[in-house]
Amino acid sequence: MTVSVLPRGLRGALAVAALALFAGSAPAQAGKITVYTSYEEDELAAFLDKAKKDLPDIEVDVLRLSTGDLRARMLAEASNPKHDVIWGWAATSMVDPRILGMLEPYEAKGLDKVPARFRDAQNRWFATTGYMGAFCVNNEIMKAENLPMPATWQDLLKPEYKGRLVMPNPASSGTGYLHVASILQMMGEDKGWAFLDALDKNMAQYIKSGSKPCNVASAGEYAIGISFALRAIKNIEEGYPITMVVPSEGAGHELEAAALMKSSQNKADARRFLDWILTRAAADEYNNWKSIVTMSDRVMPERFMKAGLPADISTVLFDVDYAWAAENRDRIVAEWQKRYEK
Amino acid sequence: MSLAGPRPGRAALDADRLLLAGLAGGATLLLVVFVVLPLWGILGYSLVTPDGLGLGNYARYFGDPRFVGIIGNTFTVALSVTAATILLAYGFAYALQRTTMRLKPLLRLVALLPIFSPSLVQALGLQFLLGRNGLINRSFGTEIDVYGFWGIFLADLLYAFPHAFLILSTALAVGAQRLYESAETLGASSWRSFRTVTLPATRYGIASAVFVVFTIVITDFGNPVVIGGNYGVLAVEIYNQVSGQANFSMGAVIGVLLLLPAALAVLAERWIARHQHASVSAQSVPLKPRPNRRRDALWLAYCLLVAAALLAVVAIVVYASFVRLWPYNLSLSLRHYAFDVQNGIAPLWTSVEVALVTAAIAVVVVTLAAYANHQLSGGLKRPLYFLAILPAAVPGMVLGLGYILAFNDPANPVYAIYDTILIIAACNIYHYHAQGFLLATTNMKQISRTFEEASATLGASRLTTLLRVTLPMIWPTVLGVGVFFFMRAMVTLSAVIFLITPSTQLAAVSVLYLDDRGALNQAAAFAVCIMATVIGVLLLTQGALRLAGIRGVSLIR
Repeated sequence: MTVSVLPRGLRGALAVAALALFAGSAPAQAGKITVYTSYEEDELAAFLDKAKKDLPDIEVDVLRLSTGDLRARMLAEASNPKHDVIWGWAATSMVDPRILGMLEPYEAKGLDKVPARFRDAQNRWFATTGYMGAFCVNNEIMKAENLPMPATWQDLLKPEYKGRLVMPNPASSGTGYLHVASILQMMGEDKGWAFLDALDKNMAQYIKSGSKPCNVASAGEYAIGISFALRAIKNIEEGYPITMVVPSEGAGHELEAAALMKSSQNKADARRFLDWILTRAAADEYNNWKSIVTMSDRVMPERFMKAGLPADISTVLFDVDYAWAAENRDRIVAEWQKRYEK
Repeated sequence: MSLAGPRPGRAALDADRLLLAGLAGGATLLLVVFVVLPLWGILGYSLVTPDGLGLGNYARYFGDPRFVGIIGNTFTVALSVTAATILLAYGFAYALQRTTMRLKPLLRLVALLPIFSPSLVQALGLQFLLGRNGLINRSFGTEIDVYGFWGIFLADLLYAFPHAFLILSTALAVGAQRLYESAETLGASSWRSFRTVTLPATRYGIASAVFVVFTIVITDFGNPVVIGGNYGVLAVEIYNQVSGQANFSMGAVIGVLLLLPAALAVLAERWIARHQHASVSAQSVPLKPRPNRRRDALWLAYCLLVAAALLAVVAIVVYASFVRLWPYNLSLSLRHYAFDVQNGIAPLWTSVEVALVTAAIAVVVVTLAAYANHQLSGGLKRPLYFLAILPAAVPGMVLGLGYILAFNDPANPVYAIYDTILIIAACNIYHYHAQGFLLATTNMKQISRTFEEASATLGASRLTTLLRVTLPMIWPTVLGVGVFFFMRAMVTLSAVIFLITPSTQLAAVSVLYLDDRGALNQAAAFAVCIMATVIGVLLLTQGALRLAGIRGVSLIR
């Protein structure tokens, strides 16, 4: 949907004239694919190394942007998409009808390894990985102020945490939204909003990005950051004095999905890449980086368990209804902003 | 023509008119293509509602007390930062241009530090210094909470300071010695001569600086997003709407609201410019400040204080990039310089390439636009001026999205440069067009028309006058425009995020995402690489000028 008021001919003519000063040429493409992703840079680098080894004849060009920036870019580029594949991108964003309309169904090889709840019924997308919510609690502050370690969402309402909590803003952060959506689903809307009202009284700041709350808790800016598990694990490995807490009511989570673009100019290679996403080799690499790997034969790495994840992740995940979360997003975010953004 | 005497002949007059018309027309055309068209696409979205085209989004916007509150916040912070910045920067520029105090080159360099780095660095530095677990609170046991209004105020003050300082410094650099001598002879106190001579002569510079700082603050995204806490401002709200909720319509509405101050600023500037007269005329003797011990010592103390604040924020970021784990393990380490991102340090070199291309094209395009505007009289002058400074009020995110909407279309000829570094360069040039244009214009306005008139009277064509009179007088400014664009291109963020491709990744984007991921020390380290590169390029250029036998030219203006 482009809104143009100037006639196209006039715009063209103006642009031709302007080009007199900016000469250049468009790049050619053959034997390579362009992939848009929101995987974090460090895990992405590891996945790509593997992909390049397994698919030596395909040049995989990757652009990495945050989930929201990437969605804005794909919607703006909708009339002439630049990418062949979407990879590692929030499933609740993938089901936006404006995005779904750009996808081509493809039944990738090995799709049967992914349980049905982690993929689209019409094969427009599937998710091999995901991330789950968790709290990052700063041990130094807890000790210095003699505060109890929280174990549940309910614990966060304790008056002694007043002004010590931070969480991501669901209007700008996918992580923020997965927390709010899971609370509303597990408690029901009435009780859920009442809980969020109470939580708001303890909240020092709603932060724009999903990893920041954990990072500011790690740096000792605030005591407890509501964030996601892998951020906590990484920061523990970095040496920050924090503890990861998975709320015992169940953790909200988000899937990272992959899809083929209808507009792809190189579908053969794009399909091979999608097949590769489902291979054993790729799964082994996800295993080193992701809290959730949807393929059936996952073995939880030792270091994740040391940081506090259980061997079977499904025991701590809340059973999120992704479709509900996606469909109600605008309504919930608007309500959330009305209540808590001043 | 020789028969016509010293006056230029008809043919020459026609050629002059043609040249001016060509320059003005070309500048306008480029502005229309690279500013108006992209905005048009984005602004069109502000009228798209579920029930067709209409003003529904605006009604919804102003009917929501939260949005109205955000407008109030934005203006509160923008006005207070502008007032504080202009006051501090005027003092600093005055001390550097009008006293004989020592340490001037060093102070100048420190004052400019914030423009060598992405805007995120100020907020990051403030967080390290004044955060709840920052250096100050940790060292003194205080409980300062900087997040919110004061965080944005301080970060944007630091961020905007060099921009105001540069404009005011240019305005204060030239002055007529004789006017001050007369004032002194007539027994005027120094305060009186400041009020009646200095202040009026720098009015235009102040107006430009106010406009530039105000628009920098209302469109800045990097600082409020890091250190703004729950204090909502418009530029961040655009991000929430566009990136958080994929709601382009509301994002566009806010974009339109941010354009209004630009229109107001143009009106204000015209009003001031009507009273402006050139302060350097053919008869003037250049200003030479005379020593005055007590005055110089006081100004030096003031400048050192301001410089200490500017330096502290950058220094702590540099320091944090070299420690093992800020703030827990402060042993020194180089490990953060081994960047664990897809392309490692490569984006830095892409950024340098983009910055050089940006600077090279901008020098020509922006200087000629300023020249055309300066020479024009009549109908086209105001629209050209307005177009030239309009981009200042456009948030980067809006411009970047506008570029995709307008140019990602094989039917559009600009598509030929889409996906190349040229589109990023074009975006940089027009994103920062206003500042470059004002830089050149401020300088041109201060050069009396007498020179150019004398040249014309002697029979020189406009082109000859431009090449042999005007350019030789303003070339340091032209070089300064190039340096300005080089620096902006190295650090700019929000617009280019929509134009980078897998093969054109930029350094500032790496800093943003490293920070976002929580690799604070790596983000600091990458920012240090950017700063070092910019300063390195400046030193090389300065060295080249020295070798060419040119001294006393400040590259950064």
